Formats: sequence, C-alpha cells, structure tokens
Amino acid sequence: MKLETDAQTLEDLRIFGKREQTGIFDLYNDTHTRGGEKLLREMFRNPLSDIESIGYRRHIFAYFSEHHLEFPFEGSLLDMAEKYTASTKDAGASRQQILNDKDIENGVVSIIQLTQKLRIFIDIDVVKASVPFAGEREAIITILESDVLQPVLRDKNSGKVSYSAITAFDALFRSKGQIKIEGLLHLIYLLDVYLSVARVALKYGFTYPKAHQKGSCILSVDGLFHPELKKPVANDMVMEGHSSLVFLTGANMAGKSTFLRSIGTATFLAHMGFPVAARAMEFSIMDGLYTTINLPDDLGMGASHFYAEVLRVKKIATELHKGKKLFVIFDELFRGTNVKDAHEATVAIAIGFARNSESRFIISSHIVEAAEQLGVEPGIDFLFLPTRMNGNTPQYTYTLERGVTDDRHGMLIIRSEGILDILKNGKKGRIYCNEAQ
Amino acid sequence: MSKFKIDRQTLDELNLLGKFRAGSVYHLFNQVRTRGGEQLLDEMFNNPLSSTVLINERSETFKCFQEHDFRFDYDVQVISVFREYLDTKTYNHKIRVYFSLLSRSVLARLTRDERYKKSIQGFQAIVQVLKKTTALMPLLSWAPEPFQSRVQEIQVLLKRPDMDQLLQMDIYSEIDLGTLVFYEHLLKGKLHTDMENVLSFIYELDVYQAVGMVARAKGLGYARALEPEQNVFRCQNLRHPCIEKAVGNDLLLEEDSNVLFLTGANMAGKSTWMKSLGIGLYLAHMGFPVAADSFEFSLREGLYSSINVADNINLGYSHFYAEVVRVKQAAEAAASGARLMLMFDELFKGTNVKDAFDGTLAVTEGFAEYTNCLFVVSTHIIEVGEELRGFPNIQFRFMPTILEGGVPRYTYRLKEGITEDRQGMMIIQSEKILELLER
Repeated sequence: MKLETDAQTLEDLRIFGKREQTGIFDLYNDTHTRGGEKLLREMFRNPLSDIESIGYRRHIFAYFSEHHLEFPFEGSLLDMAEKYTASTKDAGASRQQILNDKDIENGVVSIIQLTQKLRIFIDIDVVKASVPFAGEREAIITILESDVLQPVLRDKNSGKVSYSAITAFDALFRSKGQIKIEGLLHLIYLLDVYLSVARVALKYGFTYPKAHQKGSCILSVDGLFHPELKKPVANDMVMEGHSSLVFLTGANMAGKSTFLRSIGTATFLAHMGFPVAARAMEFSIMDGLYTTINLPDDLGMGASHFYAEVLRVKKIATELHKGKKLFVIFDELFRGTNVKDAHEATVAIAIGFARNSESRFIISSHIVEAAEQLGVEPGIDFLFLPTRMNGNTPQYTYTLERGVTDDRHGMLIIRSEGILDILKNGKKGRIYCNEAQ
Repeated sequence: MSKFKIDRQTLDELNLLGKFRAGSVYHLFNQVRTRGGEQLLDEMFNNPLSSTVLINERSETFKCFQEHDFRFDYDVQVISVFREYLDTKTYNHKIRVYFSLLSRSVLARLTRDERYKKSIQGFQAIVQVLKKTTALMPLLSWAPEPFQSRVQEIQVLLKRPDMDQLLQMDIYSEIDLGTLVFYEHLLKGKLHTDMENVLSFIYELDVYQAVGMVARAKGLGYARALEPEQNVFRCQNLRHPCIEKAVGNDLLLEEDSNVLFLTGANMAGKSTWMKSLGIGLYLAHMGFPVAADSFEFSLREGLYSSINVADNINLGYSHFYAEVVRVKQAAEAAASGARLMLMFDELFKGTNVKDAFDGTLAVTEGFAEYTNCLFVVSTHIIEVGEELRGFPNIQFRFMPTILEGGVPRYTYRLKEGITEDRQGMMIIQSEKILELLER
C-alpha cells in the first residue's frame, strides 16, 4: 500500500531538489550507480503505508548501518554494463550501429567482472549472516547458479578476454542470459540503495523509527531536527492517545516552519522505512500525509490565497470523512483573509480536525485568541517557540515549550527602522502642517 | 524641474520596460519599423518629461497622428542602407575619394569585392529616401506645433538648390564614377549633418506613427498635464493597457482626498487597478496615450510602488524585511517634500495577519499626512479601514466579490466603502467542510 500524499506536500518538504536548491532526496542519495539513483527516486516517489514492507526495508537498512560495508563495484563498471544491456533490448539489427566493437568488449568484460565480484560479495560473512537481506541474497544466488551464468563464473583470467570469447559471451548475454543479467543488475542497484542509505544514516547520525500498526494513535519524536540544517536544534514532541492536534504559536523567525518541515519530513521518511533525523521516533502508520507550509496563490485558476487554503482543507476533510487516518500540517492557517475571518475559521476547523482522534494535526497560527476557545476542547495541545528579548534584538531558542505565545516583531522592526519617525518629521502637506505645529 | 524619479523595482512591478518581455507596456507600443525609431522609443520610455508644456505638446502630436491615418511607407531596408552609408567614413580630399572608389570599382570587376556595390546602393538609397520624404511633406500639413516646425525645417532643407540636384537624379539610369565620387564626398562631408537631420526626422515620424496606430487600435485616450500646484489626479474609465477587455474605473484624488484605501479579496483586482494607475501616470508623464477616456494629472516628481511581491513563506521574514526597507525608502522620499505617487499593495503580506494589521495601519496613518503626495494602499485586512475612518483625506473603495454557488466571481468595478465580504466563513460553510469533519 502507498502513503497518499501530493505535489504540494513534496514541494513543502522539499523532497526533491529544484534547480540550485537541493532536496531531501539529494541528501539521502549517495548511490554509486545511475540505476541505484533511479531506484532511490522511485522509493521517494512511493512512500509506503503498510507495516510489513516498511519493516522489511527498515531492517535491511539498519543491518547495513550496523555492519559497515562498502559497495563492492565501481560505478563505471555498471555504466558500461548498463549501456550494453540497454541496447540489447532493441531489435538486433540496429544494435550494431549503436554499439561498436569496443562497447561490446567493455560490456562483456564488465558483466563478467560484476558477476564474479558479486559472487565474492555474497559470501562475505556479514552478508551471509544477515537475516533481513536473506531474501535478496537468495535471489542473487538463484541467478548466479543458473546454467547460463556458469561459463562466466568459470572464466578465471578476468580482465583479459580474447576476441573470440567476447563474441561467444556476447551471443550468450544477448539471448539466453539477457533476463538473468537484467535481474542481476536490478539486485545490484537495490544493494547500492541499501548500502547508500545505510551510509547516510551513519554519516548524519540518523535513527530508524519504530512503526506501529495503523490506528494505534502513537506519534513521538525525541531529538528531532531538520536534516538540512548545519547547526540544528533538536526538539521532542509526543502526541499520544487522544491528543490529536497541536496548536503551535511563535514569532515569525522563531522556527515554526522549520519545525513543521522537520516533523513532516521525518514522518514522510519513516513511511519509506528510511532513517530519520532524530534520536528516536515511534509512529503509527498513516494512510496519508498532507502539508500546507508554502501554499502559492493559484493565479491561473483565479482563486485567492484564502480560497486555495479552503480547498485544501476541504480535500483533507473529505479524506478524513472516508475514514482515512492522516498526518496533516498547516503553517499559518488562513493567513489569506482578514483577522476576524481567520479567527473564526481557525477555531472551527481546528475543533473539527481534533475530533479525528486517529489522525494527527499540527496547525501553526498567530491568532492567539483562538487558543482560548480551543483550550476547552479535549485532544488539543498547545506548544510554542519562544523569543527572548535581548534589549531590542530578539533571540530565539528554537526549543518547543508548552503553552501559547503572542510574540510578534513586525512593529518592532518597523519602529527600529525609524519609518514612523521619518514620516512624523517630514515636510507634510498643507493641511497637516498646521496641525503639527 | 528634476527628472521623474522611478526605480528598478517599480519599473519591474508595472512591467513598463522590457523589449523581450511579453505583456510589457514597452512591448505594447513597440510597433516601430526602424532601428532608429526603436532607439527613440527607448529614450522616451527611459526619460519621462517633467514639464507640462512638453507633455501636452507631445501628446497632442500623438493624438493628431492617431486621428490622421498617416502611413509610414518607407522601405525599412532602404533606410538601414542609408544609415550604413552615412556611418561608413570616407576621405576628406576629393582626389583620395576618387582613387578609393576607382580602386573599388576595379576590384569589384576582378574579385568578389562588394564595397563598390555598397557605395552605389547607399547613394541610391539616399536619393530614394529624399524623394519619398519630399513627397510626404504635403501630407503632414495637419501636424501640430512643435512638430510642424520640424516639418518646415526639413521642407526648407529639401528645397535647397544642392538638394534639388540630388532629387532630380534618376537612380535607374547609369551613374558614372564622377557623380558617385562627387556625392560621396558631399554627402559624407558637407551635407552629413543635414542627412542625419533627415534620418532623425524619419525616426520621429516612425515613432509618432507607430504610437498613434497603437492608440487607434487599442482605443486609447490622451492625458492632460496640469501644474503641480493644482495637486489633482482625475481619470475616467482607466484600464490596464496590456489586458484585453480590461474593465475601467474612475478616480479622483485631490489635495484633501489624496489617499485611496483599497480593500477586497485577493483576486478581486486590487493589484491590477493599482498597476493601471501607475502605468497611466507614467505614460502620461511621457506624453503617451493612456488607456482611459479622460485623464488629467498634476505633474509628479516620482513614482514608488510595492505591488504583488511573490508570496513566499520561504522568504517569510526576509520578504517582510525587504518590504520594510522599501517603505522606508518611500518614507524618506515623501519626507523630503517631493510630490510623489506611492502605491503599496498588500503591505506586509509575508508576515502574520496581526503584524500586517498593525504595520499597515501605522504606515497608512503616517503617509496620510503627506497631502502633496498621492497615496494608494490596498489590503485584505479590512479591520485597518475601520481604524482609518477618522482621516478626512482618505477615500475608501473596494473591489467586490460575488459568491455564486460558493464560487467567487469578481466584477472589477470599484465601489465606495470598505468591503463587507466576510467570505471567509461563507466559503467554509458553502464548501460544507464542517459537515465533512462531523462524523
């Protein structure tokens, strides 16, 4: 089963990079091969939603993180093999035009080397002993022991293959061996992904979250941080049992969006069976993940920002109505409208959300007044990111605290820039000149 | 008076310049045919005028061109050959000119040297253009001053005896080397400035004709510049010139009603209306036709805008800070006593709704006292408007939203007052979201 999500969420969490900006995908991508990268991208496009497949993947990653292993092949070897096999798929006639003799030689030699190295790799003790990887190892062995690949494994003088031998191997790989070799390459790519993610987890100190059955109402993170930050501040958060909604307040620079991104990203990755940027994490599996952190005005549709927000809330409400369990994040809910409407709408929607006790919601807002009405509702927790005033300059701890804050610095900045003074003392128009004197 | 003050940001926001930007105002008017005409148009766009007389004169000229169906039927190719011929220098001494041309004619016969041919073509182009211009002169009898004097000046030039000989030339009969040398020496020497003068006259014609044509095609009107002291801005049916079937609106801003406080939902057309005002004022200062039925304005010293900055939470704070800096610039300019037009759209949108409320209120109150300036501010935070009711010089207008079956529709027609559209809860109710959440 797949975790439901959408383009807006991927955009908000910056899962995939755009132009000069790198994404979460790039952070996890330490693969040696193009095929591995493609496979990893596939995984990012398809987060999971069932405990078996999440657990399966997680165990393999964790095992390789624990037993440090290097990817046993050079990327260039796989590039050559890839080029060779890719063109094999085309009809025979045109193939001669695409591949010259040199390409064929390189392809054949690289496949021979790959096969032999793989044979050695799966016999390493660590690999042999791995329970999580046993399935994949079994699959590799089945292919390696098939009749077709026997001549390859027998060939001992690797590196130097005669012209006649190349012709013979070429014929073999193109006909009977083709499917086996493709299968083998796929397993190698998979191995590349496993080792790469395991390495990344070690490098950044990521942890493997523990998944719980759907509907078990668990979400707790310990030492959560944003993986892309250089000096991140870690935060803890627990939303268990009936507490289904967190109402988050804080000044603009206090780190609300970063926290929301951190928790959103961690949940997303946890649903892929991937390691996450935290000390520890437990979560119950959800049906969907929707974030609204940076919602653009949909100019083409002629809808206002507020309308876009409403449509998004409606989409989520529809999913909830179907009985889906969701993880939902809204940053600055209803900021596209006036103060009064924003207040009323925030209260109504937050209460409506909070009653879905098997889903999890985090809403950030500046409408502190809404908190008073929400306080009486069960299932709503209040967290805030504090600001400490150091004279006139605000300082931020980036550490969550319980409660509500109405910190704002907009006016402070306007005042400290002296705009109001400039206007007060300037050369005013005739009417106000007299008044000022 | 000093040069009209406008900066990069304002020019970009109003999309005024930009040859290669579709939808820019420059693009709209850039129907000129010649390179020189384009340069002249560039110059006009980059240098708005700062005298009522100059503005009204230029706009009168455009108007006459719009009314009279004048056709610019020069061959553009010939004009560029003319230009090229003038730009290639020759020798001061006739003898050297003779020998250089002679050698070229010999070379042309022996090799593929094209310079001799170029000389002949250039000369022929000048004769053609001068003949054409002479023929055009009577057609420009309606031209108003000061362009009429330009016409007279060129007419006098063309009637000079040394010109007459040129005009009698038949370019289809043989031209001997002697004649060619004579004219090459003369046109690039003594008559060089006269030729330049004719060319620049043609470029002017090109621009006047092109702009007049655009004005006719788009149904544009003309602005009347008034003295700064009158401090007035009045327009009827003002539209955005680059939008097809744009809806027009009327507005009157005066000394005692110089602030326009605009409310309405995000897509109701606030930004477009502000841009229309800004573009109108800028075009009017250039003496260009404006997209309005009538347009009267006192001369201003500058234009500052902050419109439609991309809404981006990533930049949340830095965006807010950029806006603060922008407002500060505008405040400094206004405080210096300059007569400006200031436009702020959705001020402090990047920040939270409460800071936006406080900020918009404080800034509007501050600027409202500068009755020398025109000030347009828009916001969706209607509560600010209630707080500003006490200012006698603030006009309240809004862009209405009509809800039809839960889907908002916009009329783009200004109404007096502050919008009452509490669409917020209405939309939520009509979308039946709370019912969906009720399980």
